Amino acid sequence: MSKIDFTVNGARHVVEADDDTPLLWLIRDNLGLTGTKFGCGVGVCGACTVLENGKAVRACQIPASEASSRSFVTIEGLSPDVSNPCQRAWLQEEVAQCGYCQAGMIMTACGLLQQNPDPSDEVIANVMSDSVCRCGTYSRIRKAIQRAANEMRTKKP
Amino acid sequence: MITSRRAFLKTAALSGASLVIGFDGGRLLQATAAGVAGSFQPNGWVCINSDGSVVLTIGKCEMGQGVRTSLAMILAEELEANWTRIKLLQAKPSADSDLGTGGSDSMASSWKPLRQAGAAAREMLITAAATRWKVDRDSCKAVDGAVEHRASGRHLDYGSLVADAAKVQLPQNPPLKNATDFKIIGHRTARIDGPEVVSGKARYGIDVKIPGMLYASLERPPFLGAKVKNLQEDKARAVSGVKSIIKLPRGIAVVANSTWGAIKGRAALAVEWSEPPRDAFDSDAHWKKLETASRETGFVTRKEERPPGTGAITKTIEATYYYPFYAHAPIETMNCVADVREKRCTIWAPTQAPERLQKQVAQLLGIAPADVDVNITLIGGGFGRRLAVDYALEAADISRAAKAPIQILWSRADDMKQGHFQAASVHYLSAEFDAHGAPVAWKHTKAGSFHNISPLDPKEMRDAAWYQDWSWGCYDVPYAFPAIQTAYVAVDLPVKHGPWRSVFAPSSVFARECFIDEVAQVRRADPLAFRLEMLKGTDVIKAGSTTVDRKRLRRVLETVRDKSGWTGTSISQGRGRGIACNAYSGRTYIAYVVDVSVDHENNIHVDRVIAAVDCGLVVNPVGVEQQMEGGIIWGISSALKGEITFHGGTAQQSSFADFAVARMRDTPAMEIHIVHSDAPQPFGMGEPPVPPIVPAIANAVFAATGTRIRRVPVRPEQLKQRVA
Repeated sequence: MSKIDFTVNGARHVVEADDDTPLLWLIRDNLGLTGTKFGCGVGVCGACTVLENGKAVRACQIPASEASSRSFVTIEGLSPDVSNPCQRAWLQEEVAQCGYCQAGMIMTACGLLQQNPDPSDEVIANVMSDSVCRCGTYSRIRKAIQRAANEMRTKKP
Repeated sequence: MITSRRAFLKTAALSGASLVIGFDGGRLLQATAAGVAGSFQPNGWVCINSDGSVVLTIGKCEMGQGVRTSLAMILAEELEANWTRIKLLQAKPSADSDLGTGGSDSMASSWKPLRQAGAAAREMLITAAATRWKVDRDSCKAVDGAVEHRASGRHLDYGSLVADAAKVQLPQNPPLKNATDFKIIGHRTARIDGPEVVSGKARYGIDVKIPGMLYASLERPPFLGAKVKNLQEDKARAVSGVKSIIKLPRGIAVVANSTWGAIKGRAALAVEWSEPPRDAFDSDAHWKKLETASRETGFVTRKEERPPGTGAITKTIEATYYYPFYAHAPIETMNCVADVREKRCTIWAPTQAPERLQKQVAQLLGIAPADVDVNITLIGGGFGRRLAVDYALEAADISRAAKAPIQILWSRADDMKQGHFQAASVHYLSAEFDAHGAPVAWKHTKAGSFHNISPLDPKEMRDAAWYQDWSWGCYDVPYAFPAIQTAYVAVDLPVKHGPWRSVFAPSSVFARECFIDEVAQVRRADPLAFRLEMLKGTDVIKAGSTTVDRKRLRRVLETVRDKSGWTGTSISQGRGRGIACNAYSGRTYIAYVVDVSVDHENNIHVDRVIAAVDCGLVVNPVGVEQQMEGGIIWGISSALKGEITFHGGTAQQSSFADFAVARMRDTPAMEIHIVHSDAPQPFGMGEPPVPPIVPAIANAVFAATGTRIRRVPVRPEQLKQRVA
């Protein structure tokens, strides 16, 4: 057991955990932030995606020992009022069906748009194809990302 | 939020401050201070509170089909409620409730009772207002959560009327609105729980946390009869957070104070299982068994014969189709929270079958079903998997032994290997032609398996209707062959299997819709025109126990023909176009035109899908589109991605790496056309989009490559080498 000192959604947390505990379970069990989902535990479905410095990372693949002194944003920390451009685009395009994978999808999309504010359809498909939605919402996810990208670009001075 | 009837009514009807109307199959019930105790046992109810809020308690579970939104829309329409004031609660099962969600039945079965409940409340509120104003009730109108009296300009919010309205006699047959007056039904409506989903606040089964809860992971026997040879109990106990190791007939559970502790503890057990016997279940052997069975006569589910003396048969074609095992693979793996106490138990479960769960948990614990309190959570993908209750039985078993509330969570590998799989089937089809080349006879025998999510009732009459229930899409062939024979051969399947989105239809519709193309090919006919030709004659036909309206089926075919610019199946080198259609339970009619391209390594990509759907009266067009899109993606997974195979009694796949599913790069351009329907009521949309998509893809692959696809998922090596 070690003391893990890390930041989530701007708040600093110190938790006791085994070094190999995945960040996913620190977030869900220790911090009680259940918006970040478990889907596969081996980094192939994307359900547990969170942001670190604007980059999408898989919370199930980061052991506690490597999480210390790092700062992450989960779906709960994206906005206090569903005002993040991706969240709004997700609602406008009526993306979600069961909704379980969508937190991971939104975080992946946020990461993509931070790196590339004007992604082509091909780039969107490449990046988003690392994530699985069994309800089959992909076409709406694509449209929502395009909508969010447009909105973010037009808002910039 | 979840509520029980008792708790709810205490704060609602009994206080006299709300109007509460319950509904079940065919009647309305009013909860009043006097009549609530024993008689008020509805499947759902609506409560209008003195603050004007409308709380709808529904039995149907939300697993992505949008049922919370569409049911609320139906109620709000008749109630003339303010849409923004509607809240939803989840009902709980009881001895005589019927809350199961499956069979694409929620809309069809809830349509009338919800409308009646809404209309009854509306009429009672109008009567209350008219009485208070001392005016003729016909001069009052309900609008947007209030009653108004135009002549005098008076206006009362529902909230201020509920106390009086609750004293008005409940009308059993209130007047329902005309469809032409609908303001909510049929209009694009945003999902009621959308903001919760995109903010991470939506709570699924996995998100349930209760005080004192421990976490469990279960190592299950990998095959039927597997015995533990060796395990490292001490090593598991040494893992931090591990509280106990519990040996049960269903497996070895590790209970810990964190999810990770349970996962790690289970891995540390390093259980060595006995070797499977030589005759352990193997899918290759099962395919041979199914193939042999498909040649038997089986139980004849439908037989129509040609009038005698109508000409000799001069040509026969036959083909065998293979449909494999698939996992459901919802992203939320199986999980359940159980808190077993002395003589009672509380369950929180993402379940489609709350009554089955309640009964089976009660049986396991030896207590009365009424003492099993079942809380239905949001579901992160159902697809039929959660009609089985195995994961809840595990949770109850472990909680009882651990003497603590526990949450069981399945790993992805558990979910893949311990599924209630879509059962493989083999279909043997033949068609006969007369001397003029006219197709005159159709035969389709399905060799497959039932389900084992719960024991079959041995007392049930195993008649034609019973067998038809296991072979949708086979016996209800809609095409006008003078002679038709369909049959079912049951083959034992010693692994877990059960309903999978569309249940028994996908395999049969795959075989039927591909083989009808083969018949068309003999006729040198365009497959779309041939279908329309074969759907002429009597419009409404009785096909076994199902009624099929060929006019509705023709209309969806004509729609995709026109919208796709259909000129035949060829597009260009390496590309092809396919067609397929289906009438789901005679209720929802769907046709697809699919364009595929095949590259030089025989990789197939679905480029475009043009779809037409007639699902009866449309409640929420957004929901219909979503289900169509999702069904198409589901079908692309089945046609081109992963399957489950067995060796040594064990499923060989364990993740999305070896059981691949469609991803964004596999997503085609999609156009969904909702066809105007003559049907006066809505039908289901969860399952119907699935069956016809796989054959439409297979037929397009034939058009592109010249190889008939009689087995899915299609593998590149199945295709004839194309001339470069």
